Amino acid sequence: MKKMKKIISLMVTLCLVLSLAACGKKTVNSTAGEGNITKAPEAASEQPTEKAEPREAELSIMMSFPQYMDQWETYCKQFEDKMLAEENIKVKVNLEMPSSDQYDSVLQARLTGDDAPDLYTIHSNNIKTYNETGYLTDLSGEALAGKIFDNVKKTVSVDGKLLALPIESTAWGVLYNKDIFEECGLAVPNTLDELKNVCKVLKEKGYTPFLLAYQEQWVPQLMTALTIGGKVSGELPDWLDRMYADNGSYSEISDIFDVIDVIMQNGTERAMEEGSEAGSADFANGKAAMYLQGTWASNTIMTTNPEMNMGVYALPINNNEACTLINLSTSTTLGVYPDSENLDIALKFANYVLDDKDSSALFQACGFNPIATVHDYETSSWVKEAYQYVEAGRSYQDLVLPSAVTDEQGKLLQVYYVGGVTKEEITKTLDDKFKEANKLSKAAE
Amino acid sequence: MSKKRRIQNLLVYTALILLLFFWLFPILMALMNSFKSNKELLTNVMALPTTLKLDNYLRTFEKMHYQRSFLNTLLLTTLGVGMMIVFSAMAGWRLCRTKTRLSQIIFALFIFSMLIPFSSIMIPLYKIILVFHIKNSLIGLSFVYAGFGVSMAIFLYHGFIKGIPFELEEAAAMDGCNKITIFYKIILPMLKPVTVAIAISNVLWVWNDFLLPLITLSDNKKYSLLLSTNILFGQYSSDWSAILSALILSAIPVIIFYAVFQRQILKGIGEGAVKG
Amino acid sequence: MTRKGRENLSLLLFVAPAFIVYFLFKLYPTFSGVYYSMTSWNGLSKTKQFIGFTNYIEIYSDTYFWKSMLFTSKYVIVMLLVANIIALSLAVAIESRKKAKGIFRTLFCMPNMISMIIGGYMWNFIFTKVLYYLADNWGMTIFDKSWIGNPRYAFIAIVIVSSWGIIGYLMIIYMAALQGVPVHLIESGSLDGANAWQSFFRITFPMIRHSLTICIFWTLNSMFQVFDVIYSLTGGGPGRETQSVAINIYEEAFSGNIRYGYATAKSMVLFLIVFVITIIQITVMKRKEQEL
Repeated sequence: MKKMKKIISLMVTLCLVLSLAACGKKTVNSTAGEGNITKAPEAASEQPTEKAEPREAELSIMMSFPQYMDQWETYCKQFEDKMLAEENIKVKVNLEMPSSDQYDSVLQARLTGDDAPDLYTIHSNNIKTYNETGYLTDLSGEALAGKIFDNVKKTVSVDGKLLALPIESTAWGVLYNKDIFEECGLAVPNTLDELKNVCKVLKEKGYTPFLLAYQEQWVPQLMTALTIGGKVSGELPDWLDRMYADNGSYSEISDIFDVIDVIMQNGTERAMEEGSEAGSADFANGKAAMYLQGTWASNTIMTTNPEMNMGVYALPINNNEACTLINLSTSTTLGVYPDSENLDIALKFANYVLDDKDSSALFQACGFNPIATVHDYETSSWVKEAYQYVEAGRSYQDLVLPSAVTDEQGKLLQVYYVGGVTKEEITKTLDDKFKEANKLSKAAE
Repeated sequence: MSKKRRIQNLLVYTALILLLFFWLFPILMALMNSFKSNKELLTNVMALPTTLKLDNYLRTFEKMHYQRSFLNTLLLTTLGVGMMIVFSAMAGWRLCRTKTRLSQIIFALFIFSMLIPFSSIMIPLYKIILVFHIKNSLIGLSFVYAGFGVSMAIFLYHGFIKGIPFELEEAAAMDGCNKITIFYKIILPMLKPVTVAIAISNVLWVWNDFLLPLITLSDNKKYSLLLSTNILFGQYSSDWSAILSALILSAIPVIIFYAVFQRQILKGIGEGAVKG
Repeated sequence: MTRKGRENLSLLLFVAPAFIVYFLFKLYPTFSGVYYSMTSWNGLSKTKQFIGFTNYIEIYSDTYFWKSMLFTSKYVIVMLLVANIIALSLAVAIESRKKAKGIFRTLFCMPNMISMIIGGYMWNFIFTKVLYYLADNWGMTIFDKSWIGNPRYAFIAIVIVSSWGIIGYLMIIYMAALQGVPVHLIESGSLDGANAWQSFFRITFPMIRHSLTICIFWTLNSMFQVFDVIYSLTGGGPGRETQSVAINIYEEAFSGNIRYGYATAKSMVLFLIVFVITIIQITVMKRKEQEL
């Protein structure tokens, strides 16, 4: 009996040792596989036998739009399932969505703290800066690169390298309530005089022309984005280059204030107490006929009033129709951290965002515009309307100003609205701010 | 009571009640409107809700992962404040009783950084947190809170102990008690009033702190209550009824804490601070 | 070992746990903050260049920083007066109530328990929705002001919300001090023919001076770093009109040019200013206390 016991225990031990060794071998295998996966993603999926232990990996993703939390959570789940089924990798996605006002500080703390998320969203204007500090992976060689529309690709490329995956890309101008326009017998304005007339007629009919929601400074900033963009693209194409060379001034484009004044004087009251979301909801409910806001607001507008008949037109800057243009821009983009421990999976996720099968549903659910060939969903009428301008050649690429200058514009317009600063002061402050930003970026090089 | 006195009394009461109404107005408004649908809310914010709908609450309770966030915050607060108290009572006592140059220097070092704004040490602090691998660790974060709170706590203990006669300790030392025994048997019980004050103000501080968890807790399973509430602001920024119910939900634990311990809290604030 | 040496040794043993956590999480970051303030670190680059006092020299001519400093100083002064006067008056009024004292005390102190982020959002609702409703539908046109957009009213709004948050706390401290004033002293005062004001200023006030020192220290210290309230109420806007120093620092570090080194230098300046002011306040007021 005693012998028997000994033998059994020996066998048990042996089994244990063997199974441990087997486990060890598997881990070795899977880690060895890891290196190859980047080059040959099929390698792992070749023999996903039932017995093979799935490789485990964590992926942390940080995004700046908590309003789409549900949609992205679902998408991450789908990705996890797909990875397990197709590649035998058990991925655990940690999706973080700090509120947008905290986003930059959290992201920076992470990046400098050597604790970068594997994927994270940044504004397309920051791509250059993040690339210079080595925080972005070149995605040119990935499958996704071939799917993105060329005009969008330009906005996320630096020196021919595709550095981030565009997510929100829009053609935008001024949103207007088609029903109100129709009722007043109005057509879309193409010059400043026509815009003034639109305001006049609307007021006569008892409508407030513009909805103003200036509580968050990025909303008034949209006015400078449109007016400077239109003015410069139509009349002063070298202005921005000269600004970057310390050889230009906002005084050259001072007529942008003509249209800004028209908007502010014909707007709803209590603009500083109105947030952008509340503004969208009010616009949807017909509180005003026009709203200077990108098409990204359509989600809120349409949930508030699904019956809304909305259109988009290009904002006239002056009486030169060449300046009446639609703004083409990419705001949110998704970057991949190059030193990620699971770079292969991070890249897989990036590719999955433009997945042939699933991507359309995600983009449609979030109300994003199509940015790649895989997006075959029917776009909404207002998006089509904006792209009609683009097809007619009446558009420009969003100007990339130093982000400090952009912020400053929004702040100054808030103060301008409440009467705390004059046009001349704004011109001077912005000139100074631009020079300061130039100086800083030179110092950084 | 004279007539003049009575009128005076009445006036004071009226003024106090009016002021009190103003004081509670935001909380009452938030509470009242949190039961309405957003449409109802936007049409009339002053009307009483027509039905006591709990929809908003059920929705936000689930969205916030209320239970989990609550337990996380509880763990963080208890551990953090607990360590803070034990550590600073020990330090405060010896710092007060030791009259050497070294003691003065250490005390000054503790007091020195009391006024440093958090924002200026945010990133250096974050780096340390990474070095110790305590990111996303509630236990680790409670050490950080202890480190942040000891200055003030030591300052208060130091001031309080100054007022305790030295004779008791001396007598105990004569009897052959060592310092640790003296600390636990004699000092700690005498510190009770100031300990309660310190504990309470720090419980409220840690419970209500926002920025530190924001940069150190990235795993949403470790989120504190305020972080979970904050996520909702982004998600429902135009839906005040949802926001208000989230505000009420995250205020409830503090209000209950206050209701239960209000005597100690108020006494603690008064005594602890006055004697500091 | 000398007696002193033994004393120091036991001191070190008892101080060690507190000192270790304090050093790691507060003191060391503070000192590395001093170093960062002398670098051109932009918060993103992995390398940082040592540039000595260049950042501090730049602060000297930074108009936005000094504007926010002016705003903060104005705010601190108003808060010192408003919050302390109201808190002290409330304390006196409530302390002399016999029956309702407890309930008043409890309810007035309640806002202090709630996080100011939450309180700020509750008030945001009042200022952007409720007051306009009252103005439009109940004819209370006095509320029809741009509470967040007009810098002057926004300042008032900020003061209201901050006071709402801290008055309860200050009130409790004053009440505790008032309880320490012997009733017979006040009574003897009123027998001497002094009226309520006179007896308050002659007898009560000198006896609660210490609590005044505490409250003013506390208000000064915390109000100079004001962040939460302004952040959840106006975000520093319109433009930079209601920007406190803390918000200016935050903005410098995390938006626009992203200059972490420069922002850290600013926070060092803020620290120095607050430090000097509070030290002066404490020495002066303590001396006055002892004179009495």
